[in-house]
Amino acid sequence: MQHSIEPERFGPQGDAMAHQVKTCVHCGFCLPVCPTYKDLGQEMDSPRGRILLMKEMLEGSLEIEAGLPYVDKCLGCMACVTACPSGVEYGELLTPFRALARNQVKGTLLDRLTRLGFRLLLPYPRRFRAAAALGRLARPFTGMLPERMAAMLELLPRKLPSSASLPSVYPAIGSRRARVALLSGCVQQVLSPDINWATLRVLARNGVEVIVPAEQGCCGALALHTGDADHARRLAVRNFDAIPNDVDAVITNAAGCGSGIKEYPLLFRGDGREEKARRFSTRVQDVSEFLDNLGLKREPPPLPSAMKVAYHDACHLAHAQGIRSAPRKLLGRIPNLTLMELMDGETCCGSAGTYNLEQPEIANRLGANKAAVIERVQPDAVAAGNVGCLMQIESHLRRLNSTLPVLHTVELLDRAYESV
Amino acid sequence: MRSLGALKTIYPPERVLSGPAQVAPYESDALTAFRERPLAVVLAESQEEVIETVRLCHRENLPFVARGSGTSLSGGSLPIREGIIIGLNRLNRVLELDPAERCAVVEPGVINLDLSTLGAPHGLYYAPDPSSQSICTIGGNVAFNSGGAHCLRHGMTSNHVLGLKAVLPDGAVVELGSKSLEGVGPDLTGFFVGSEGLFGIALEITVRLIPKPESYKTILAAYNSLEAAGDAVARVVATGLLPGAMEIMDHLAIEAAEAAVHAGYPQEATALLIVELEGEAAEVEAEFQLLEPVIRASGAFEIRVARDEGERLRIWKGRKSAFSAVGRLSPDYIVQDGVVPRKQLGSALAEIEMLGRKHGIRVANVFHAGDGNLHPLILFDGTEAGALEKAEELAGDILQMCIRRGGSITGEHGVGMEKREYLAHMFAPTDMEVMKRMRRSIDPLEIANRRKMFPDENGHGRVSASEITRSGNGAGTTLRPGSFREVQQAVADHARIRPRGGGTKPALSRPSAGIASLELSGLSGIVEYEPEEYTFTALAGTPVAQVRERLAREGQYLPFDPVLVRAGATLGGTVAAGTGGSGRYRYGGIRDFLLGVRFVSGRAELVRGGSRVVKNAAGFDLPKLMVGSLGRLGILVEMTFKVFPLARRWLTLEAALPSLREALEAIRRLRAAPLDLAAVDLEPPGRLLVRVGGRRESVGARLERVRELVGHGAQLQGQEERDHWDADREFDWAPPDWNLMKVPMTTGRIAELEENLRSIPCRTRYCAGGSLAWLAWPGPMDPVDRALGHLDLTGLVIRGNGDTARPGRTQDRVFSKRIQDALDPDGRFSEA
Repeated sequence: MQHSIEPERFGPQGDAMAHQVKTCVHCGFCLPVCPTYKDLGQEMDSPRGRILLMKEMLEGSLEIEAGLPYVDKCLGCMACVTACPSGVEYGELLTPFRALARNQVKGTLLDRLTRLGFRLLLPYPRRFRAAAALGRLARPFTGMLPERMAAMLELLPRKLPSSASLPSVYPAIGSRRARVALLSGCVQQVLSPDINWATLRVLARNGVEVIVPAEQGCCGALALHTGDADHARRLAVRNFDAIPNDVDAVITNAAGCGSGIKEYPLLFRGDGREEKARRFSTRVQDVSEFLDNLGLKREPPPLPSAMKVAYHDACHLAHAQGIRSAPRKLLGRIPNLTLMELMDGETCCGSAGTYNLEQPEIANRLGANKAAVIERVQPDAVAAGNVGCLMQIESHLRRLNSTLPVLHTVELLDRAYESV
Repeated sequence: MRSLGALKTIYPPERVLSGPAQVAPYESDALTAFRERPLAVVLAESQEEVIETVRLCHRENLPFVARGSGTSLSGGSLPIREGIIIGLNRLNRVLELDPAERCAVVEPGVINLDLSTLGAPHGLYYAPDPSSQSICTIGGNVAFNSGGAHCLRHGMTSNHVLGLKAVLPDGAVVELGSKSLEGVGPDLTGFFVGSEGLFGIALEITVRLIPKPESYKTILAAYNSLEAAGDAVARVVATGLLPGAMEIMDHLAIEAAEAAVHAGYPQEATALLIVELEGEAAEVEAEFQLLEPVIRASGAFEIRVARDEGERLRIWKGRKSAFSAVGRLSPDYIVQDGVVPRKQLGSALAEIEMLGRKHGIRVANVFHAGDGNLHPLILFDGTEAGALEKAEELAGDILQMCIRRGGSITGEHGVGMEKREYLAHMFAPTDMEVMKRMRRSIDPLEIANRRKMFPDENGHGRVSASEITRSGNGAGTTLRPGSFREVQQAVADHARIRPRGGGTKPALSRPSAGIASLELSGLSGIVEYEPEEYTFTALAGTPVAQVRERLAREGQYLPFDPVLVRAGATLGGTVAAGTGGSGRYRYGGIRDFLLGVRFVSGRAELVRGGSRVVKNAAGFDLPKLMVGSLGRLGILVEMTFKVFPLARRWLTLEAALPSLREALEAIRRLRAAPLDLAAVDLEPPGRLLVRVGGRRESVGARLERVRELVGHGAQLQGQEERDHWDADREFDWAPPDWNLMKVPMTTGRIAELEENLRSIPCRTRYCAGGSLAWLAWPGPMDPVDRALGHLDLTGLVIRGNGDTARPGRTQDRVFSKRIQDALDPDGRFSEA
């Protein structure tokens, strides 16, 4: 598409943004896979529509205030990237654009408070745990709160799981085949600490020694995806130093983190730390990808009882990182587990980082759709590779009075291994 | 703005988009070389809203552009600055799915591919498959008569749309066509399809769904040159095979598509040919045995056959992503869509390459080789000064080349915004004037998709209607013109005139007082026949028998199976009456095989419509309009048809079932199975005749499957078999002094019609799987007229003495009246 963007005006990421605009041919192949276009049915809420709006804003012919609300509605699920025949790397336009726009637009007081809250709480497990505990107390007053806050409370689990701190080293069982560092995450550690424990146990069973560096913190993906690039860089840098170099891989079990880290090179473009960022990001692997590449040491034993499992593709795993077959292959190794595919399986569940907190209406519709699709195939459990999806799906299944367990891929593997 | 306020009385505020951020994303469709911001975009969610909006636009003289998903490659849904966009993507309900009649009724916003998903549980699918099928809407497909890779065998959108409800640009709502594959009166549905939004907006579309082929064989062949691949296409055609699709991609397109979807194409190929066979497993296998050595001998350095459905889908995904994937090679491009006669493919490609070199522009090629439909992608960088202009210049040269070679400027993308300057190069001034007159008759304010298809008027663009003086004083006699000019003169000279061909359908050409009879026997003969193109052109008075015989010598035939051949029917009479026969079951009726026409209008103009190539989307579809028009809109003088290869062997199963109910049940079973039957006829109550045609080695086995589904039956073959169908074609079963009538039908209504005809001494034959009924009875017309009216059916009397040729339900009068006003304003051809 033709444009008159002057990339140099937009710093080191200007070229990437302009290049993506140029690559888009406006063919519309992204429309049928875009959750917001399917939900809202208007061009402004489609990938090619947003590309055009971002182009206009970058060219200066459209006010940021006028166009930004439509860009804000984007889930960042990257389904459009999978669908795009022209090879538009939509994220390379969206993420820098959000950062750019964030600096220019103040938003409402509520917007700013919400964002401040995210920034001060989410990346820090202890703070977040305290806030979540408070939030649970506020649940009876949900009806009196602004919609967005109500949405946050809705997503909190009924009971906050207890947290035992992770060991600094978790040894391999049997001969050691690899040594990795685990990114323990932030939100996940509070809301679903079992995932990390399951990861440690499953890796250990497969001969992998795991270290959990204590100084590590949030990877910055949430900040990055909501346009807070500076904060994201600060968080990222902390991990560059906290994670030692003498490991075979850096493991994440949250798709959102993995995809965010893979965006580091662009985030640090033109920065003295760009090379460091690139090196770090190439070392990071999703736990499913790592395990599949390594190969399971032995067949997992059967689960205590046979299970039909509906696998949900987390967008940040499938679209952003192209990881589709690894988790399926791993789950498929469990002898009495039957994998079930979902209709529109690659459509976002509405979680999308903090999207369900920022655009609760759309997120709720997507969540409800996903829960309905899951119910239709009548599985015994749902599996996914991202904590945000797990919470969103669980929350919407509960609204349908479904008690289906919603589990991370490694949790299912863990159950199989631990069953003997 | 006043109109904007009025729009808000129709729509809630959130569905009237007018802010800068709201209209900007609507500034282009898939052709971004053109951009324009509309005053507003409205998002309709009900048919009533669309109708109200169109009426408002008409009242306020506010131009509108209907838009589905905005995937036009010709700028067809480009907004108009002083008008509005009516967004139809949310008007997307499936109103009815009728698997028994193999059709669905849907609103325009339904997505093409969703039709196939809808039909899938019943083994049905929607055949036209534009590359954008995952998002393009059926409404857009209707407006632009969209094609796709599989048009070669299945035809375009117009061949799969049976009926329409539409709002005309002044707000009148019309219903055209029905669920039947056949019709009576001009094919208005077919004429509406491809009108590029100029005739209004389709609100409900009845689409045909067809059985998903039982088996596919997809062959990928890699060549060192485009010419070699093009030559392979000619060799395949020469074998008499009719593949489902034949596509070629050049190295640029291969590279781009491979990068986009990893289809597994051989990267080192200069050209790639995809040939897909489809149909019953036994037939496909037999065809493959014939095809494979031909491909092997054609110089391919690598041949691959898709091993499973997954691989087949990847091959097609690559092909269908090719246009967009070219975005990887170039920031901007213009896709061209010209058609050339198939045998000129090689030289046309060479010429494109030469032109590209001359202009210094890269051109990628992906095309529907089987139909000669080229898709050169002209690559340019819009940020370079003058690059777009240079690209457009090259595009123009390519279009001129297609016209010069006797082709078309567009096979499937439509004229739209992009090619409107070239329409007048393809059509003569008179043709253009007639089309414009039709447009103005339907849309006097020219508010529907203004500035599309036709070039802007330059003040002196209009031509005088005809140089022939129309006296209208001629006496009511019999005239026998020997030239087009004499036909024009005859029309000019007579206030009332009626054409007559072989006189085999006397009810339609009976001489009457005050009406001159124009005998077309003087205009006879095949003008051009190119077996390798699968097309021929003949004069209207040419006897069908002569054509059949000539085609048979080349192993080809008229798939719509004209009737009364031995009796002396002419091509013109067959088209004008719309009388196809039992054999239309397999590939389609007259409307599906008539490519081009020349006719004389009521203003004595000689008008050409359509083209001489197998695929064309330029201009209004006048050929469709002439089918069934009974000489009331124009006098046909010349026609171009598409033909298909003749089966090597025919077999027929003749079964006597004990009751009508059981016979209908057997037909239902046959229609639900993935069989490629040539004909399915019923002589009530229970005599069933099912015909199978194909390769010598597979037909026997295929007939056995039919026998299994029917239960029992005797096999007819050889001369006896041919004699049966020949006799039926001549209506030997109907006494010559009885009335004979055609009734377009659907299978599900056979029982009702039989019931309603019980008290009348009427003989019936249901043909083409029940799409078509023939009724014969002695005596007055009234009882049958009443029975049809009662059932909301229409008939066409071809033999008999009634005072109306078309008893039963009254068809659309609004749309046809406007067409008549444009073509025959003085009523020279009128009925009464």
